[in-house]
Amino acid sequence: MATDCQAIQEILTEYRGETDRLEGTARHHFEVCPACREVAAAERTLGLIFADAVPPANAGVERGVMASLRPVRTRRRIVAFLPVAASLLVALLGATLVGGVPGGGIVRFLPGWSAQGWMAFVSSASDWGTAVATGARAVAATLDPAILAAAGLVGFLGLVGVAVTALRWRRVSPWRNED
Amino acid sequence: MAVTDQATSLPDERLVELSLDGDEDAFGILVRRYQRRLTAFLGQLVGDLELARELSQEAFVRAWSALERFDPRYRFSTWLFRIAHNLGIDQLRRRRLQTVSLYRTDSEGDEVEVVVPDADKDPLGHLENHALASELRQVIDGLRPEYRELILLRHFAGLSYQEIAEFKGMPLGTVKNKLFRAHSVLRKALAVFL
Repeated sequence: MATDCQAIQEILTEYRGETDRLEGTARHHFEVCPACREVAAAERTLGLIFADAVPPANAGVERGVMASLRPVRTRRRIVAFLPVAASLLVALLGATLVGGVPGGGIVRFLPGWSAQGWMAFVSSASDWGTAVATGARAVAATLDPAILAAAGLVGFLGLVGVAVTALRWRRVSPWRNED
Repeated sequence: MAVTDQATSLPDERLVELSLDGDEDAFGILVRRYQRRLTAFLGQLVGDLELARELSQEAFVRAWSALERFDPRYRFSTWLFRIAHNLGIDQLRRRRLQTVSLYRTDSEGDEVEVVVPDADKDPLGHLENHALASELRQVIDGLRPEYRELILLRHFAGLSYQEIAEFKGMPLGTVKNKLFRAHSVLRKALAVFL
Protein backbone atom coordinates (compact mmCIF):
# COMPACT_ATOMS: atom_id res chain seq x y z
CA MET A 1 0.00 0.00 0.00
CA ALA A 2 2.79 2.39 0.96
CA THR A 3 4.59 1.67 -2.32
CA ASP A 4 1.38 2.26 -4.26
CA CYS A 5 0.93 5.56 -2.46
CA GLN A 6 4.46 6.73 -3.26
CA ALA A 7 4.19 5.77 -6.94
CA ILE A 8 0.86 7.55 -7.25
CA GLN A 9 1.99 10.57 -5.26
CA GLU A 10 5.07 10.87 -7.48
CA ILE A 11 2.73 11.14 -10.46
CA LEU A 12 0.53 13.63 -8.62
CA THR A 13 3.61 15.68 -7.76
CA GLU A 14 4.83 15.66 -11.35
CA TYR A 15 1.47 16.74 -12.77
CA ARG A 16 0.68 19.33 -10.10
CA GLY A 17 -2.12 17.33 -8.51
CA GLU A 18 -3.94 16.62 -11.78
CA THR A 19 -5.50 13.18 -11.61
CA ASP A 20 -6.03 12.69 -15.37
CA ARG A 21 -2.79 10.73 -15.63
CA LEU A 22 -3.98 8.05 -13.20
CA GLU A 23 -5.38 4.99 -14.91
CA GLY A 24 -6.52 1.49 -13.99
CA THR A 25 -5.45 0.29 -10.56
CA ALA A 26 -3.72 3.58 -9.80
CA ARG A 27 -6.99 5.39 -10.44
CA HIS A 28 -8.86 2.94 -8.25
CA HIS A 29 -6.27 3.31 -5.49
CA PHE A 30 -6.56 7.07 -5.66
CA GLU A 31 -10.34 6.97 -5.35
CA VAL A 32 -10.16 5.08 -2.07
CA CYS A 33 -6.95 6.50 -0.56
CA PRO A 34 -7.46 9.64 1.57
CA ALA A 35 -3.67 10.25 1.80
CA CYS A 36 -3.27 10.36 -1.98
CA ARG A 37 -6.33 12.57 -2.38
CA GLU A 38 -4.90 14.92 0.21
CA VAL A 39 -1.60 15.05 -1.67
CA ALA A 40 -3.45 15.78 -4.93
CA ALA A 41 -5.28 18.71 -3.34
CA ALA A 42 -2.09 20.03 -1.72
CA GLU A 43 -0.16 19.74 -5.00
CA ARG A 44 -2.84 21.66 -6.89
CA THR A 45 -2.60 24.51 -4.39
CA LEU A 46 1.19 24.33 -4.37
CA GLY A 47 1.13 24.59 -8.17
CA LEU A 48 -0.94 27.77 -7.93
CA ILE A 49 1.38 29.21 -5.29
CA PHE A 50 4.43 28.62 -7.47
CA ALA A 51 2.66 30.02 -10.52
CA ASP A 52 2.06 33.23 -8.56
CA ALA A 53 5.64 33.21 -7.27
CA VAL A 54 7.02 33.81 -10.77
CA PRO A 55 7.44 37.61 -11.08
CA PRO A 56 5.66 39.36 -13.95
CA ALA A 57 7.53 39.93 -17.22
CA ASN A 58 9.67 43.02 -17.36
CA ALA A 59 9.67 44.96 -20.62
CA GLY A 60 13.09 46.40 -19.79
CA VAL A 61 14.72 43.00 -20.11
CA GLU A 62 13.42 42.49 -23.64
CA ARG A 63 14.31 46.05 -24.66
CA GLY A 64 17.81 45.64 -23.25
CA VAL A 65 18.34 42.33 -25.02
CA MET A 66 17.08 43.56 -28.38
CA ALA A 67 19.23 46.69 -28.17
CA SER A 68 22.28 44.51 -27.55
CA LEU A 69 21.72 42.22 -30.52
CA ARG A 70 22.79 44.62 -33.27
CA PRO A 71 26.39 45.19 -32.10
CA VAL A 72 26.73 41.46 -31.56
CA ARG A 73 25.45 40.79 -35.07
CA THR A 74 27.86 43.32 -36.56
CA ARG A 75 30.73 41.67 -34.69
CA ARG A 76 29.54 38.26 -35.85
CA ARG A 77 29.49 39.46 -39.47
CA ILE A 78 33.02 40.79 -39.21
CA VAL A 79 34.27 37.60 -37.55
CA ALA A 80 32.49 35.48 -40.16
CA PHE A 81 33.97 37.55 -42.99
CA LEU A 82 37.59 37.19 -41.79
CA PRO A 83 38.00 33.62 -43.11
CA VAL A 84 36.45 34.72 -46.41
CA ALA A 85 38.92 37.58 -46.67
CA ALA A 86 41.82 35.30 -45.75
CA SER A 87 40.74 32.74 -48.36
CA LEU A 88 40.41 35.48 -50.97
CA LEU A 89 43.93 36.67 -50.22
CA VAL A 90 45.26 33.12 -50.51
CA ALA A 91 43.41 32.66 -53.82
CA LEU A 92 44.72 35.97 -55.15
CA LEU A 93 48.24 35.20 -54.03
CA GLY A 94 48.14 31.81 -55.72
CA ALA A 95 46.62 33.23 -58.89
CA THR A 96 49.15 36.04 -59.02
CA LEU A 97 52.05 33.67 -58.54
CA VAL A 98 50.70 31.32 -61.14
CA GLY A 99 50.43 34.30 -63.45
CA GLY A 100 54.20 34.15 -63.73
CA VAL A 101 54.28 30.55 -64.88
CA PRO A 102 54.37 31.10 -68.64
CA GLY A 103 57.75 32.57 -67.96
CA GLY A 104 59.29 33.64 -71.23
CA GLY A 105 56.41 35.73 -72.44
CA ILE A 106 55.78 37.46 -69.18
CA VAL A 107 59.23 37.38 -67.73
CA ARG A 108 60.26 39.60 -70.62
CA PHE A 109 58.26 42.37 -69.05
CA LEU A 110 59.77 41.92 -65.61
CA PRO A 111 62.37 44.36 -64.40
CA GLY A 112 65.76 42.79 -64.54
CA TRP A 113 67.69 42.70 -61.28
CA SER A 114 69.72 45.61 -62.46
CA ALA A 115 69.67 49.27 -61.50
CA GLN A 116 67.59 50.06 -64.58
CA GLY A 117 65.22 47.26 -63.77
CA TRP A 118 64.75 48.50 -60.24
CA MET A 119 64.21 52.03 -61.51
CA ALA A 120 61.53 50.71 -63.83
CA PHE A 121 60.03 48.80 -60.95
CA VAL A 122 60.06 51.83 -58.67
CA SER A 123 58.60 54.09 -61.31
CA SER A 124 55.77 51.67 -61.90
CA ALA A 125 55.16 51.50 -58.15
CA SER A 126 53.19 54.72 -58.42
CA ASP A 127 50.48 52.54 -59.78
CA TRP A 128 49.78 50.11 -56.94
CA GLY A 129 48.03 47.59 -59.12
CA THR A 130 50.94 47.48 -61.52
CA ALA A 131 53.40 47.33 -58.65
CA VAL A 132 51.73 44.35 -57.01
CA ALA A 133 51.35 42.48 -60.27
CA THR A 134 54.88 43.29 -61.37
CA GLY A 135 56.29 42.33 -57.97
CA ALA A 136 54.39 39.08 -57.93
CA ARG A 137 55.54 38.24 -61.46
CA ALA A 138 59.09 39.04 -60.43
CA VAL A 139 58.80 36.63 -57.52
CA ALA A 140 57.13 34.04 -59.70
CA ALA A 141 59.84 34.32 -62.33
CA THR A 142 62.50 33.48 -59.78
CA LEU A 143 60.66 30.48 -58.39
CA ASP A 144 61.11 26.86 -59.23
CA PRO A 145 58.28 25.33 -61.36
CA ALA A 146 57.51 22.92 -58.55
CA ILE A 147 56.95 25.87 -56.24
CA LEU A 148 54.79 27.47 -58.89
CA ALA A 149 52.72 24.31 -59.04
CA ALA A 150 52.38 24.56 -55.29
CA ALA A 151 51.32 28.18 -55.76
CA GLY A 152 48.66 26.93 -58.16
CA LEU A 153 47.47 24.55 -55.51
CA VAL A 154 47.43 27.37 -52.97
CA GLY A 155 45.31 29.43 -55.34
CA PHE A 156 42.92 26.53 -55.85
CA LEU A 157 42.65 25.88 -52.12
CA GLY A 158 42.06 29.57 -51.62
CA LEU A 159 39.14 29.41 -54.05
CA VAL A 160 37.70 26.40 -52.25
CA GLY A 161 38.16 28.28 -48.99
CA VAL A 162 36.28 31.25 -50.40
CA ALA A 163 33.40 29.03 -51.46
CA VAL A 164 33.17 27.26 -48.10
CA THR A 165 33.59 30.29 -45.85
CA ALA A 166 31.31 32.44 -48.01
CA LEU A 167 28.47 29.98 -47.43
CA ARG A 168 28.84 30.43 -43.68
CA TRP A 169 29.27 34.17 -43.99
CA ARG A 170 26.19 34.42 -46.20
CA ARG A 171 24.05 33.32 -43.25
CA VAL A 172 24.94 36.46 -41.32
CA SER A 173 25.70 38.82 -44.19
CA PRO A 174 23.82 42.14 -44.30
CA TRP A 175 22.09 41.11 -47.56
CA ARG A 176 20.64 37.99 -46.01
CA ASN A 177 18.09 40.01 -44.04
CA GLU A 178 16.86 41.74 -47.14
CA ASP A 179 15.32 38.46 -48.35
CA MET B 1 10.13 37.91 -40.37
CA ALA B 2 7.18 39.93 -39.14
CA VAL B 3 6.06 38.95 -35.67
CA THR B 4 2.71 37.30 -36.21
CA ASP B 5 0.58 34.97 -34.11
CA GLN B 6 1.85 32.18 -36.31
CA ALA B 7 5.45 33.13 -35.64
CA THR B 8 4.97 33.31 -31.89
CA SER B 9 3.69 29.75 -31.89
CA LEU B 10 6.70 28.36 -33.75
CA PRO B 11 8.70 25.77 -31.81
CA ASP B 12 12.02 26.76 -30.28
CA GLU B 13 13.98 24.77 -32.84
CA ARG B 14 12.51 26.71 -35.77
CA LEU B 15 13.01 30.05 -34.01
CA VAL B 16 16.64 29.13 -33.37
CA GLU B 17 17.08 28.35 -37.09
CA LEU B 18 15.58 31.71 -38.04
CA SER B 19 17.75 33.45 -35.45
CA LEU B 20 20.82 31.78 -36.91
CA ASP B 21 19.85 33.34 -40.23
CA GLY B 22 20.06 36.70 -38.46
CA ASP B 23 16.33 37.09 -37.79
CA GLU B 24 16.21 39.26 -34.69
CA ASP B 25 12.41 39.10 -34.49
CA ALA B 26 12.58 35.34 -34.15
CA PHE B 27 15.07 35.69 -31.32
CA GLY B 28 12.77 38.32 -29.79
CA ILE B 29 10.04 35.68 -29.60
CA LEU B 30 12.41 33.40 -27.73
CA VAL B 31 13.23 36.27 -25.37
CA ARG B 32 9.54 36.88 -24.66
CA ARG B 33 8.96 33.17 -24.26
CA TYR B 34 11.67 32.66 -21.66
CA GLN B 35 12.44 35.97 -19.97
CA ARG B 36 9.89 35.64 -17.20
CA ARG B 37 10.96 32.15 -16.21
CA LEU B 38 14.63 32.99 -16.63
CA THR B 39 14.30 36.02 -14.35
CA ALA B 40 12.30 34.02 -11.80
CA PHE B 41 14.90 31.26 -11.77
CA LEU B 42 17.82 33.66 -11.47
CA GLY B 43 15.94 35.72 -8.87
CA GLN B 44 15.72 32.70 -6.62
CA LEU B 45 19.28 31.69 -7.39
CA VAL B 46 20.89 35.05 -6.56
CA GLY B 47 18.18 36.41 -4.24
CA ASP B 48 17.96 39.75 -6.00
CA LEU B 49 15.33 40.53 -8.63
CA GLU B 50 17.13 43.52 -10.15
CA LEU B 51 20.32 41.55 -10.50
CA ALA B 52 18.32 38.64 -11.91
CA ARG B 53 16.96 40.93 -14.66
CA GLU B 54 20.48 42.05 -15.55
CA LEU B 55 21.69 38.47 -15.59
CA SER B 56 18.70 37.39 -17.71
CA GLN B 57 19.58 40.06 -20.23
CA GLU B 58 23.18 38.92 -20.25
CA ALA B 59 22.14 35.28 -20.63
CA PHE B 60 20.06 36.11 -23.71
CA VAL B 61 22.84 38.15 -25.27
CA ARG B 62 25.32 35.35 -24.63
CA ALA B 63 22.89 32.87 -26.14
CA TRP B 64 22.53 35.06 -29.23
CA SER B 65 26.31 35.43 -29.51
CA ALA B 66 26.88 31.69 -29.14
CA LEU B 67 23.89 30.53 -31.16
CA GLU B 68 26.12 29.00 -33.83
CA ARG B 69 27.61 26.70 -31.21
CA PHE B 70 24.17 25.52 -30.01
CA ASP B 71 23.75 21.80 -30.62
CA PRO B 72 20.23 21.29 -32.02
CA ARG B 73 20.18 17.73 -30.65
CA TYR B 74 19.50 19.32 -27.27
CA ARG B 75 16.68 21.58 -26.20
CA PHE B 76 17.11 25.33 -26.44
CA SER B 77 15.49 25.73 -23.02
CA THR B 78 18.04 23.60 -21.17
CA TRP B 79 20.90 25.28 -23.04
CA LEU B 80 19.59 28.74 -22.17
CA PHE B 81 19.03 27.87 -18.51
CA ARG B 82 22.51 26.38 -18.32
CA ILE B 83 23.96 29.69 -19.53
CA ALA B 84 21.83 31.51 -16.96
CA HIS B 85 22.75 29.06 -14.21
CA ASN B 86 26.47 29.55 -14.88
CA LEU B 87 26.04 33.32 -14.81
CA GLY B 88 24.14 33.08 -11.53
CA ILE B 89 26.75 30.83 -9.94
CA ASP B 90 29.57 33.15 -11.06
CA GLN B 91 27.67 36.06 -9.55
CA LEU B 92 27.21 34.22 -6.25
CA ARG B 93 30.92 33.40 -6.13
CA ARG B 94 31.81 37.03 -6.68
CA ARG B 95 29.28 38.25 -4.15
CA ARG B 96 30.34 35.73 -1.54
CA LEU B 97 33.60 37.64 -1.34
CA GLN B 98 31.76 40.91 -0.72
CA THR B 99 28.93 40.03 1.67
CA VAL B 100 28.45 38.41 5.03
CA SER B 101 26.29 35.33 4.78
CA LEU B 102 24.09 33.73 7.41
CA TYR B 103 23.63 30.08 8.12
CA ARG B 104 20.43 28.31 9.01
CA THR B 105 19.46 24.73 9.64
CA ASP B 106 17.62 23.01 6.82
CA SER B 107 14.73 20.57 7.00
CA GLU B 108 17.10 17.68 7.55
CA GLY B 109 19.24 19.31 10.21
CA ASP B 110 22.10 20.35 7.93
CA GLU B 111 23.52 23.85 7.99
CA VAL B 112 22.91 25.76 4.74
CA GLU B 113 23.98 29.19 3.62
CA VAL B 114 21.31 31.84 3.25
CA VAL B 115 21.74 35.20 1.56
CA VAL B 116 19.19 37.64 2.93
CA PRO B 117 17.57 39.65 0.10
CA ASP B 118 17.06 43.37 0.14
CA ALA B 119 13.31 43.98 0.66
CA ASP B 120 13.04 46.06 -2.55
CA LYS B 121 14.79 43.44 -4.62
CA ASP B 122 12.96 40.46 -3.20
CA PRO B 123 12.13 38.00 -6.00
CA LEU B 124 8.89 37.18 -4.14
CA GLY B 125 8.13 40.81 -3.33
CA HIS B 126 5.28 40.92 -5.87
CA LEU B 127 3.21 38.39 -3.90
CA GLU B 128 0.31 40.08 -2.16
CA ASN B 129 0.25 37.52 0.61
CA HIS B 130 3.34 38.64 2.52
CA ALA B 131 3.07 35.85 5.07
CA LEU B 132 3.06 33.28 2.28
CA ALA B 133 5.97 35.01 0.52
CA SER B 134 7.99 35.02 3.70
CA GLU B 135 7.22 31.39 4.49
CA LEU B 136 7.88 30.28 0.94
CA ARG B 137 11.23 32.07 0.93
CA GLN B 138 12.24 30.42 4.19
CA VAL B 139 11.11 26.99 3.10
CA ILE B 140 12.94 27.18 -0.25
CA ASP B 141 16.09 28.55 1.36
CA GLY B 142 15.90 25.85 4.00
CA LEU B 143 15.76 22.98 1.52
CA ARG B 144 18.81 20.80 0.99
CA PRO B 145 20.79 22.35 -1.90
CA GLU B 146 20.09 19.44 -4.25
CA TYR B 147 16.34 19.70 -3.58
CA ARG B 148 16.39 23.47 -3.77
CA GLU B 149 17.99 23.47 -7.20
CA LEU B 150 15.43 21.01 -8.53
CA ILE B 151 12.56 23.08 -7.11
CA LEU B 152 13.96 26.20 -8.80
CA LEU B 153 14.31 24.38 -12.10
CA ARG B 154 10.83 22.91 -11.88
CA HIS B 155 8.77 25.78 -10.53
CA PHE B 156 10.66 28.95 -11.38
CA ALA B 157 12.41 27.89 -14.59
CA GLY B 158 9.30 25.90 -15.50
CA LEU B 159 11.28 22.97 -16.91
CA SER B 160 9.66 19.57 -17.36
CA TYR B 161 11.05 16.55 -15.50
CA GLN B 162 12.67 15.41 -18.75
CA GLU B 163 14.30 18.80 -19.27
CA ILE B 164 15.56 18.80 -15.67
CA ALA B 165 17.03 15.34 -16.18
CA GLU B 166 18.82 16.63 -19.29
CA PHE B 167 19.95 19.79 -17.52
CA LYS B 168 21.33 17.92 -14.51
CA GLY B 169 22.54 14.87 -16.39
CA MET B 170 20.49 12.73 -14.00
CA PRO B 171 18.30 9.72 -14.73
CA LEU B 172 14.65 10.69 -15.01
CA GLY B 173 13.75 8.36 -12.13
CA THR B 174 16.17 10.17 -9.83
CA VAL B 175 14.63 13.51 -10.74
CA LYS B 176 11.15 12.16 -10.00
CA ASN B 177 12.23 10.72 -6.68
CA LYS B 178 14.12 13.80 -5.51
CA LEU B 179 11.31 16.15 -6.51
CA PHE B 180 8.81 13.94 -4.74
CA ARG B 181 10.90 14.17 -1.57
CA ALA B 182 11.37 17.91 -1.97
CA HIS B 183 7.62 18.34 -2.40
CA SER B 184 6.96 16.28 0.72
CA VAL B 185 9.07 18.80 2.64
CA LEU B 186 7.27 21.72 0.99
CA ARG B 187 3.79 20.30 1.67
CA LYS B 188 4.66 19.80 5.32
CA ALA B 189 6.22 23.24 5.76
CA LEU B 190 3.47 25.10 3.89
CA ALA B 191 0.60 23.02 5.27
CA VAL B 192 -1.10 26.05 6.72
CA PHE B 193 -1.43 27.58 3.23
CA LEU B 194 -2.50 24.40 1.45
